[in-house]
Amino acid sequence: MLEGLAMLGHSYLSFLNFWSITYGLGGAFLGILVGCMPGLSATLCIALLTTLTIKMAPNDAILILICAYVGTLYGGSRSAILLNIPGTAANAASCADGYALAQQGQAGRAIGIATSGAFTGTLFGVLCLAMFTPALAEIALSFGAFEFFWLALFGVAMSGSIVGDDPIKGWMMGCVGLLIAQIGQEGLYAYNRFTFGWDELSGGISLIPALIGAFGFAEVLTTLSDPVEKKLIEMRDSILPRFREVAQYWRTVIRSGVIGVVTGILPGIGEDSGAWMSYAAAKAVSKEKEKFGKGSIDGLMAAETGDMSAIPGGIIPALALGIPGSAPSAVLMAAMIIHGIQPGPMLMIKTPQFVYDVVAMTTIATFSILIFGLFLVRPLLLVLRVKRSVLMPIIFVLCTVGSFAIASRLFDVYSMLVLGVGAFFLRRRGYEMAPLVLGLVLGDLLDKSLRRGLVLSDGSLAPFFTRPICAALALVTVLTMLMYIPAVNLRIRRGWGALMGLVWRKKAGQE
Amino acid sequence: METTEQMEAAAATAAAAALQRKISPRGDFIAALIWIALGIATTVGSWNMDRLQKQDINPYTIPGLLPGFLGVAIIFFGALMLFRAWRQGALVTPPVRPKTAADRAETRRLWTVLALCIGFGGGLVGHGLPFWAAAAIFIATTITILQFDERGKADQRKRGVLTAIVIGVCAGLIITLVFQEFFLVRLP
Repeated sequence: MLEGLAMLGHSYLSFLNFWSITYGLGGAFLGILVGCMPGLSATLCIALLTTLTIKMAPNDAILILICAYVGTLYGGSRSAILLNIPGTAANAASCADGYALAQQGQAGRAIGIATSGAFTGTLFGVLCLAMFTPALAEIALSFGAFEFFWLALFGVAMSGSIVGDDPIKGWMMGCVGLLIAQIGQEGLYAYNRFTFGWDELSGGISLIPALIGAFGFAEVLTTLSDPVEKKLIEMRDSILPRFREVAQYWRTVIRSGVIGVVTGILPGIGEDSGAWMSYAAAKAVSKEKEKFGKGSIDGLMAAETGDMSAIPGGIIPALALGIPGSAPSAVLMAAMIIHGIQPGPMLMIKTPQFVYDVVAMTTIATFSILIFGLFLVRPLLLVLRVKRSVLMPIIFVLCTVGSFAIASRLFDVYSMLVLGVGAFFLRRRGYEMAPLVLGLVLGDLLDKSLRRGLVLSDGSLAPFFTRPICAALALVTVLTMLMYIPAVNLRIRRGWGALMGLVWRKKAGQE
Repeated sequence: METTEQMEAAAATAAAAALQRKISPRGDFIAALIWIALGIATTVGSWNMDRLQKQDINPYTIPGLLPGFLGVAIIFFGALMLFRAWRQGALVTPPVRPKTAADRAETRRLWTVLALCIGFGGGLVGHGLPFWAAAAIFIATTITILQFDERGKADQRKRGVLTAIVIGVCAGLIITLVFQEFFLVRLP
């Protein structure tokens, strides 16, 4: 405990210098700019910045990426409030009340609420990051191949179930992601799978170009195929955050913070679910339900706190288990690996200081967005006035540079193009990309865990189901998927209701 | 003359109709057939994959194990989607809805942008032309084409082309300078 606090203190002190603060502010600034632009996601921002910072020292590069991550989600609330278009998917829940407030001439107030909600939400998440990452990593040390197999499968299944409206399409995308991850040399015997004699494919499909294609190029196509430019609502009132409102809605802040962190920790679910679940919970307990969607302060605060607290929440499993909580944290994890840091249970043994460094980096990111929220709202909004027909070609050039720069291979640019076109057409047909990303990231872990587990058990599948953690994960994974079959869902609900009734009657009988 | 709100409403209606057409049971039915074909190909490919018997490896660690399972899973989910689409009336011929001007404009813009992006990423870059020049050509051409109608209405075509060239050259030079000189990143 004391050792942890000492390391945390050391991390904070090591970042209290001019260059670290400049990098932090710069990352947050770029993140806010990207977040302001509708359609450009945190995943794309981190992927592009990974290439830009590839030659920097690991801690400086990761600091910039984390600040950009936090900044993007914070910046996304701007376009949600002023344009009614969420800057990132995580800000969709802020649209309804934020835009309604803006239409009532309270755009500045809405942005102020978003700033205070984002600041408190991220700070709450940072606290959880500092407390739970070491604890989770310690538990994960007892995990073997069997547990990691189920964790990887659980992540892909959960992501497919919750992200989007159609779980079958979500699971299909998860399987496709896992399949793409199998292309190239496999880890045990260096055997080339699905390369069809093409040497370029031996290295597999790199994650960063794939993500830039799925989130960047696909978004460029989506944005430019829609000809209508939306009108920006003018902001006339004060934008200063209202911490009095945070105090007034403290229950919402704490509830949304907890929901955000939990959704962040669950593999593959991400910030948008954190925002929607927090919003739904706030509406369920609110005394003014009728105001939700018509300019409710409570609703906007819940959505912003929920999505921002999910950021540190998503970093917790990425650091402790090597299993990312969301698509942007998957890229962040990939960036850590590129910089020579291997996330997972061994991180706390090999480089424990890094975990506390990430806590300090996220704290810097939190204060950076507060500074920009207090002093630079209006100048930052100028980016919303840039025409999409000017911005998007430049973004595409950056996508090309980003795909090439990681390994200096033109093949990665072609991968980005192919995956981008595929992702664009799939998205138009209702397929979500988050499960695909999770599949891509977890494919290698799933493959190695399955084969190592089978070797350890001499071909028996029993340990995959009989070890306690495996049994729990298997049950949750299967139940999550079965819940989407209406007949099974009804039976599970009836069974649960009957069980609860039985417990209640037994308790009543004892009393 | 249409107001911005009317244009936004018209665009939203067109977008909703287009989305409905794209995510129709028939569309899902066809997609499901493609997924099943992919699943079968993956399963067959995994089954036929070398089992490395010459290397005397543990038979439970053959390279095709997980890909084979994934192939089966894709077939399973494809079959579920096929069944659902069939239940939703995928085989019933839907009424033919004539394409609107907005639909045609969207398709035209989409294919233009797609051609420009693939032309840049697949042809212009990495084949001898300096990166800043390739980027400048791509950005200037794309902006000019996308703003062609709008500039034409305002009788500003020449100005539009000039502005696009200036933006293209500036963006190309700045991106090259920032990535190559400041951050030491290699460019294609």
